[in-house]
Amino acid sequence: MRGFRTRRVGPPGASPQRPHTRPRTRPWSNLGLRSRVTVTFGLGALALSATMAGVTYFTARQFILKERETAILRQAYVNASLARSSLRSVNPNITQLLASLDTVPGSRSVLELKGQWYATSISVGENAIPLSLRDLILSGTPATQHFVLGNTPQMGVGLPIPSVNASYFEVFSLDDLSRTLRILALALAGAALLTTVAGAVIGRWASGRALRPLAQVSRAAETVAGGSLNTRLLAEGDAELSALASSFNRMTDALQERIDHEVRFTADVSHELRSPLTTLATSLGVLESHRDELPPRSRHALDLLSTELHRFQRMVDDLLEISRVDTGSAELSLDEVEVGELARQAAAAGGAGDVPVDVDPAVAGLRLWVDKRRIERVVTNLVDNAEQYAGGVTRIAVEPGTGHGVRFVVVDRGPGVAPGERDRIFERFYRGQAAGQRGVTNGTGLGLSLVAEHVRLHGGRVWAESGAEGENRFVIELPAGNDNGTAPALAPDPARDAETRA
Amino acid sequence: MSNRILLVEDDERIRASMRLALEDEGYEVDEAGSGEVGLEHFADQPADVVLIDLMLPGIDGFECCRQLRRTSAVPVIMVTARNDTHDVVAGLEAGADDYVTKPFVAKELAARIRALLRRSRSVDTPDALSFGDVEVLPDEGTVRRAGTEVHCTRTEFRLLCELATNPGKVLSREQLLDRVWGYDYFGDGRLVDVHIRRLRTKIEADPANPRHILTVRGMGYKLAT
Repeated sequence: MRGFRTRRVGPPGASPQRPHTRPRTRPWSNLGLRSRVTVTFGLGALALSATMAGVTYFTARQFILKERETAILRQAYVNASLARSSLRSVNPNITQLLASLDTVPGSRSVLELKGQWYATSISVGENAIPLSLRDLILSGTPATQHFVLGNTPQMGVGLPIPSVNASYFEVFSLDDLSRTLRILALALAGAALLTTVAGAVIGRWASGRALRPLAQVSRAAETVAGGSLNTRLLAEGDAELSALASSFNRMTDALQERIDHEVRFTADVSHELRSPLTTLATSLGVLESHRDELPPRSRHALDLLSTELHRFQRMVDDLLEISRVDTGSAELSLDEVEVGELARQAAAAGGAGDVPVDVDPAVAGLRLWVDKRRIERVVTNLVDNAEQYAGGVTRIAVEPGTGHGVRFVVVDRGPGVAPGERDRIFERFYRGQAAGQRGVTNGTGLGLSLVAEHVRLHGGRVWAESGAEGENRFVIELPAGNDNGTAPALAPDPARDAETRA
Repeated sequence: MSNRILLVEDDERIRASMRLALEDEGYEVDEAGSGEVGLEHFADQPADVVLIDLMLPGIDGFECCRQLRRTSAVPVIMVTARNDTHDVVAGLEAGADDYVTKPFVAKELAARIRALLRRSRSVDTPDALSFGDVEVLPDEGTVRRAGTEVHCTRTEFRLLCELATNPGKVLSREQLLDRVWGYDYFGDGRLVDVHIRRLRTKIEADPANPRHILTVRGMGYKLAT
């Protein structure tokens, strides 16, 4: 989940201002807030536990080494004094002397007497002792040295015994010590790893908990975006969260109010416009039925009046229809109709009754649940569009579509819509290149966008494609219901709903 | 003698223009500016068809229609400003036989009036039809349930006759629109649904669980004897 970002939205007509440069996206900010908290907690735990482990290891190592060195030195001194007293005797038995020395496992003694070397172990003799240590001792200075012998760490102690002209060396293996330290290091690293993982887990859990209200807000916002404006957040005990909840609720209230206002406005406009239009249309009808009695100039004026009134009426109808779609108050009134019959009747209603309707045998006889009035408007608008821009409709075809769908194809004479305009012509008030060439237009600018809305309400799709000879093919694909003749699930059936209410 | 139409509409100009158009079609037109005036006028001088606008000052079109229905089976056409299901269904439930949406074409309105007037003439069906405890007497234009007369509008009566002459046969909404209302494709299925519902409240013992007028889902309606 991301953090809050507010975005200003301009008025619907205005094009949004884009910043000239895109903000640089750092990989870090690409991570979600929750992941960032998790990583931070994990890294924090790692740093802390690594420091603790390091300090523990080195302190322990220091301490153990010191203890061992003290013990080693004590033993070496004891053995050296033992050797000295033994060598002072008249006829010393060196082998016996070496065997009698006090040793711990892993310690070996080497004795130098007047240039002669004696050792307790075959493997550790004169050559096992580093030259630097030997030289130091032979020159009369006692010393210790750490070194490696055959992969194992050793500590050598050398003590000159000048009174008998000898030097005593003892080599201690530190193998057990280094094993102990290795195990300690492993244990500490394992603990650090566990702490890191635990830190990350806690971070994830805590951020999840902290972000839970945000997730609720996000879900609520989504349901609002989906159209259910009565979504409200519960203001819980937490002061910060309840502030968020109440702002969110205020926002949806305001939104609801605005939409209600628009719906009311639409209804008012509807009534206010329809009354004068009714008077106009009815009076015009009276005039038209007496058309033959009028002088030619008046007749011409009457025809102009009639054309424009018809257009005005359609424009009002279209505007109301589209505002109803916008406010979500559009309802489908479904009836079951045979596809060929639907196409023929809609063509007749749209003023294209003489246009051939070809029904593919694969779909002939198929029945669809549709709002007949809306499908009539769809075909009417497509026929109007064809007359306006493409020399009229030549043919209407009913073909099988993808899946269980049925396609209604309205074919005109062309010229074809430019490929770049094929999607845009379904936008409101979009006037393509073809429209620009006409001095007079009968269109309302809403016709094709309403086609798209009506088809969408039926769960279908509409698009324009180009035929082999440059003609336009406007394709409406409607989903067919189930085989048992029930309406498609997405389309409500108000008449039936009303029936169950009774 | 020409047919008389009562026009209940508060907009004076619409009234005037409709009078012109309807007089051109050969009807005699009476006007009323409100529901109350319309009802009074109808009591004095019954009309053959009543047109009622839904939005009226004082009592609204629905109420006006309901009050009219208490005393008369006269054909009623509702004039609505919107084609919304709510208005249409509510108008039909108040007892209207049909509806038109403003702005309407005078010719279309005249055609609907003609169809309604045709309907109110006699029906060519057998002498008597009966199912369950319901008796339909086409000659007298009456329906009796368990011996007592049931008040039906002429549209309801035609609808019942249509179903009763084809017992057990499923009639689609289109067929009923064609045979009862005299419309072909352009009729609105809601007309049938609401009238069926109204009929059920009159002749069924339990309208919520009908035993005679049955809905055949996805097909239409049929009468079970």
